[in-house]
Amino acid sequence: MSDELIQIETPFAFNEENQREFNALIGRYPVKEAAMLPTLHLAQRQAGYITPAVMKYVAEQLEVSVMKVKDVVTFYPMFFEEPVGEYVIRVCHTLPCALRDCKGVLEHLKAKLDTDIAAETNLAKGTTPDGKFTLMKVECLASCDVAPVIMVNDDLYKNLTPEKIDEIIDNL
Amino acid sequence: MAFVKLNDLEIEVEDGTNVVEAAREHGIEVPHYCYHPGLSRPANCRMCLVEPHVFFPPAGAIVPDRQLATGCTTVLRTAPPDRKLDGKYDFIVRTDSERVKKARADILEFLLVHHPLDCPVCDQAGECDLQDYSHRHGHDKSRYLEVKNVPPKKDLGPDVLLYATRCVVCTRCIRFADEVSGTGELGLVHRGSHDEIDIPRSHEGVPLQVLDNKLAGNVVDICPVGALISKDFLFKSRPWFLEKANSVCSGCSVGCNITVEYKADGVYRLKPRFHEDINQHWICDDGRLGYHYVNSDDRLQLPLKRVDDALTPTHWADALATITEKLSDIETEDIVVIGSAQGTNEDNYVLQQFAHDVLKTTQLGLFGQLPGEAHKFPQFTIEADKNPNTAGARTILGSANGNTVLEGDALWEKVSSAKVVYLVSGAPERPLEDAEKAALESVDFLVVQDVLPSEVTQFADVVLPGTTFAEKDGTFTNSTGWVQRIRKTIDPPGEARVDWEITQQLAKQLGGEMNYHFAGEIALEIAENVPGYADATHQKIGDAGIKLADSDQ
Repeated sequence: MSDELIQIETPFAFNEENQREFNALIGRYPVKEAAMLPTLHLAQRQAGYITPAVMKYVAEQLEVSVMKVKDVVTFYPMFFEEPVGEYVIRVCHTLPCALRDCKGVLEHLKAKLDTDIAAETNLAKGTTPDGKFTLMKVECLASCDVAPVIMVNDDLYKNLTPEKIDEIIDNL
Repeated sequence: MAFVKLNDLEIEVEDGTNVVEAAREHGIEVPHYCYHPGLSRPANCRMCLVEPHVFFPPAGAIVPDRQLATGCTTVLRTAPPDRKLDGKYDFIVRTDSERVKKARADILEFLLVHHPLDCPVCDQAGECDLQDYSHRHGHDKSRYLEVKNVPPKKDLGPDVLLYATRCVVCTRCIRFADEVSGTGELGLVHRGSHDEIDIPRSHEGVPLQVLDNKLAGNVVDICPVGALISKDFLFKSRPWFLEKANSVCSGCSVGCNITVEYKADGVYRLKPRFHEDINQHWICDDGRLGYHYVNSDDRLQLPLKRVDDALTPTHWADALATITEKLSDIETEDIVVIGSAQGTNEDNYVLQQFAHDVLKTTQLGLFGQLPGEAHKFPQFTIEADKNPNTAGARTILGSANGNTVLEGDALWEKVSSAKVVYLVSGAPERPLEDAEKAALESVDFLVVQDVLPSEVTQFADVVLPGTTFAEKDGTFTNSTGWVQRIRKTIDPPGEARVDWEITQQLAKQLGGEMNYHFAGEIALEIAENVPGYADATHQKIGDAGIKLADSDQ
């Protein structure tokens, strides 16, 4: 092997509040491994994105191999493996939103934020230089009746128009 | 037993056999990738689809089931009397209907969508299931016109490379790491058609863990395509140029069944061979990669004799004459003959026969116990005793003529007081402890029979070049009492000779009446004279080995 193993210099651990939440949710599953998704969400909320240290910590907590965690992290686009902006803007581009001009929404956001759209393995591409916003396309956000929609962090915004988008972004 | 109609055959199979295995037993190929008899069955490759038949009441007839089923997870069992088909069959299944053939061809077309078709430069070509099944079951062209995914080649561990473009994502390797080695280094990254096998890495590609457990090499064997490749064998030879011989691994006392693959110029690789009670489908990497000493340029090729304090090459006649001269006027109690746990039962039998008949001594030693570590995996064990034949050598040296066999401290104490020692080694590496060194140094005349220059040979007055497991026929007895055959593959280097032949030559020079011609002949005599070995003739041992009656460990 030419590659050296990665050295984790600052180990990750849940803070007190997240540790409490983790303790609560682990009890809801028949096996620890089943708590993978909520645990990763919890960790991502604390760390900002999933670093090798986070993967290692989660694997230890759930008593699975690090690879099992990596497997899940790369499968789901909700988990980030590199830094993202303070506000992650997810633009739905599945059929109903596409019919209601999500392309216009995307173009408007691109122009307003002056950034490109993130690629799944290159989030930096869609992140503003000031680290405030990350713009990405996602699949269905389950609100087809109010298309087009975007999600900013955990909040859903519906029936978008350029004016509404400006208002949302300006108020962040 | 289940009574099954398989295509047009009526067969009886054990309850619990799956269709792939039942068909294989009757010479019918059901192609498969993800199914491996030693692993769990996710049925994800869809290659083994077969057509079960069911009773359809409205028609009052037996018809093909609406859906094809995966042969690997379709398990054959005895049906209750009222559920028999046609009044007698427990199951009816076809592996050769048009529907099955079309399904296979279509699945193969899918599997080949992103495949680079680089067989001319692929190591697996010639022993590749993708190649073979495409040939036998596939379409002759693909309808896929889009751009192919080209994931990069990746380094997974000390001996394993991943050519991800060739992978069909059967996940055998992942299941192996999870279930057999229990180390879990492998998994899938990304989604759908971008799925790739990988080890855990940071986003930048730096590994957190590598595939370096002692069973890692098995993933290369079970990879049905050319995705996982052994660095040790990479670009060394086309597999169809290799000769194969069934043998036994000499790396430790487990006695894993192997196939030695070789050409005239040396051994190229060792592959595991199935044995239900010993190694199942696997071998460890110590064994797999432990053959290199056989091909080494440092091998002893000529007898050596100490002349003016330096070991100097000589010819056999001279070396043997030197020993004969020394042995002919020495008291019996001043001689110690030491057999080897690396040698075969036959080597050790001839050696003790020589000690008993010619030298008239019953004091023998056993040279063994290479320092080593045991490793335990969920479904595999590597023994600490790094000799293949400790059990056999101990029994054979000891019991044929009521000899005492000294080992460890008792042996070295005896050696310290001896004038002449004839020591057979044959280990690829055998570091000596201080007490052992001191004992060997004190010997007036030390004859060492070995395969490589070692710490042992440096004390020798005469060195006789012996042979490795790859260069002779014979039997090993493993730690659980299985007697198994090794087979000659390549010729010994230079003037090296089979160990028992050297001993016999020496016996003849000293006036002994020994006249063996081949190892099987010696085994017949072992069967006659050594308790427990009555059935251990080469004929009866065959490829499966036999278990000694009195060893129920």
